[in-house]
Amino acid sequence: MATVLDSVTYPHGLDPSDDLRRGNTARLRWRTGFDRWIGYLLPLLFLVALVPIADLVWYIGKTALPTLTFTVISSQNSFQSYNALGVPLISTFYILGLATVIAVAFGLFGGIATAEFLSESAAGWVRMSANLLAGMPSVIVGYFGYFAFVLYFGWGYAIIAGAFTLGFFMTPYIFRTADLAFSSIPRPIREAAYGSGARPVQYILRVGAPIAFPQILTGVFLAMAIGLGETAPIILTVATNVAVPTNLSQGATYLTYLIWTGFQFGPHSVELTLAFEAAFLIVVVVIALNIVVRVIAARFRRRLEGLYQ
Amino acid sequence: MSTTPAAGGEADRREPLPPLDSPPDAARRPRRGWKGWVGVIVPFIPALVPAAIVISVAVTLVNASGLHNFGWGFFLPGSSANPYGVAVEIVGSFLTAVPALFLSMILGLGIAIASVVYLPTFITRVLDPFVDLLAGIPSVVYGLWAFIVIAPIFGTVINPWAVEHLSFVPGFARSIIPPSPTTAGTGLPLAIIVLTLMALPITTLLIRDALRSIPKDLWESGLALGATRWEVMRRVGLRTGSRGIVSAAFLGFGRAIGETVAVAMVIGVDARFPVNVYDVTSTMAAFMFENLDSAESHPALLQNLAELALVLLAITLVVNLVGRRLVSHIYAGEVAGI
Repeated sequence: MATVLDSVTYPHGLDPSDDLRRGNTARLRWRTGFDRWIGYLLPLLFLVALVPIADLVWYIGKTALPTLTFTVISSQNSFQSYNALGVPLISTFYILGLATVIAVAFGLFGGIATAEFLSESAAGWVRMSANLLAGMPSVIVGYFGYFAFVLYFGWGYAIIAGAFTLGFFMTPYIFRTADLAFSSIPRPIREAAYGSGARPVQYILRVGAPIAFPQILTGVFLAMAIGLGETAPIILTVATNVAVPTNLSQGATYLTYLIWTGFQFGPHSVELTLAFEAAFLIVVVVIALNIVVRVIAARFRRRLEGLYQ
Repeated sequence: MSTTPAAGGEADRREPLPPLDSPPDAARRPRRGWKGWVGVIVPFIPALVPAAIVISVAVTLVNASGLHNFGWGFFLPGSSANPYGVAVEIVGSFLTAVPALFLSMILGLGIAIASVVYLPTFITRVLDPFVDLLAGIPSVVYGLWAFIVIAPIFGTVINPWAVEHLSFVPGFARSIIPPSPTTAGTGLPLAIIVLTLMALPITTLLIRDALRSIPKDLWESGLALGATRWEVMRRVGLRTGSRGIVSAAFLGFGRAIGETVAVAMVIGVDARFPVNVYDVTSTMAAFMFENLDSAESHPALLQNLAELALVLLAITLVVNLVGRRLVSHIYAGEVAGI
């Protein structure tokens, strides 16, 4: 019996209802069976992604935890001869804190200006440049830091050079979250503020900032997590130092540097022990920061939805 | 200004209304003095910071490179001015990044399809953040883990087995460079595995976003026609989300080719072309990372390294430019730091 479906041509040779209509049960069974089995098999691919990471965390934890005591973390002995992490931890706080300040100074205002003052097309170009910077490999930023800060500015292998290099590396993440946070503030709120006579600065400080603050905080945390794990920008621009640095033109030992040294010394060395301890601390802090970022971002999204009601 | 005529003499002293056909108020707006221009220009300055950083990176590297010394001949070793050459590293970068991208795209497609189509929400809500979390693990930690845990497996099990049983296949024969005990197992396959793991969260996340943002009507009209979930996925989902999938490939490639420390740990940085699949070789980023120390006393090598940096910069800029143009918004990527 001719039906109206016979006059329909399917461009890709697919006529889904064909099998049923013609009673082609074999093909129908094959199609549904394939669909069911692929539904069982594809989720197994999650294992390919998650088993290595579980093994990574488990192995690093298993290796680091027996030797990682509070004495190790707080001891300010020379880490090159003892199992002591105090000096690298303090140095890491110095460099990362300084880099975060630099990145916030460069990124925050740019992101707000992009969201608030730039035309749509200009903002598109600026966002593209921030994305390009975020996609730049860390070793290139490290080379830039080496040629620009260490050599050209003559700062030498100093904390200040490393902090600027790392700060430049972290800038786009803060820039983009600040931009995103301010552009996602509902338009009615913006217009209400401007309509009741607020100046741009008043709007940004009193209306925009309280709403956008959590999201900007996620950007800062995210940038810190990324900066904490970076190796190349720091190793190429900061010399090592067995002591806690006392001024910005000295070297300092970053945590990731310990991992690189441990790799170079190889198995059965105190350096490798230190490397695993450093790796454990870094992984724990990075995962914690990422979880905090996710929680805040989810709350921020819910809050934005609330603002529309 | 009131438009109704007011009674009394006061109305006469008021400024008369402009005629209706007068030019728009541009003519009557006060001229913008220099203070006005400050208000227009100053907000732009912080917005230009990222562009300024990108440009200054490029300018610094061009100045530091030896392009003005030996031109584009720096690709090949041999000339007296340039004994190093960068061809090995460029080839090595592509030899590791392309297979890693291929693997991570296949895995990413599978994981994303499973997450969007097949798995129930209460499972994906738990599993998806874990995959995104992989993007946050620092590369040096990946490298340490791969060097300590995976490399011995390759060095003692897989590579000897491959030499014994697959040596008739070209490229699987016994290595002419015998591996030293400390570096056994490092080389191309290990680098490819590490890069696959590192590119996987990016490709998965972008493909998942692309598939999620397909309108529900499209899925349901496909299902209503009698197609199975797989058929709707293949014929509707992958076509509609193709831009996002291509951008995932570009951004994953950018990540894989720029990866530095992890690769430097597992590829056994060695400036020779690989002969067999399990040979050590080098990539651009790893070579740059390992050799800056020794280049300080060799100006030619330093210039060479800066040229490598320029090549890598050009590749990543182009890849990112294309990849990010394809998708208008990367929302979840903001959380994962892509």
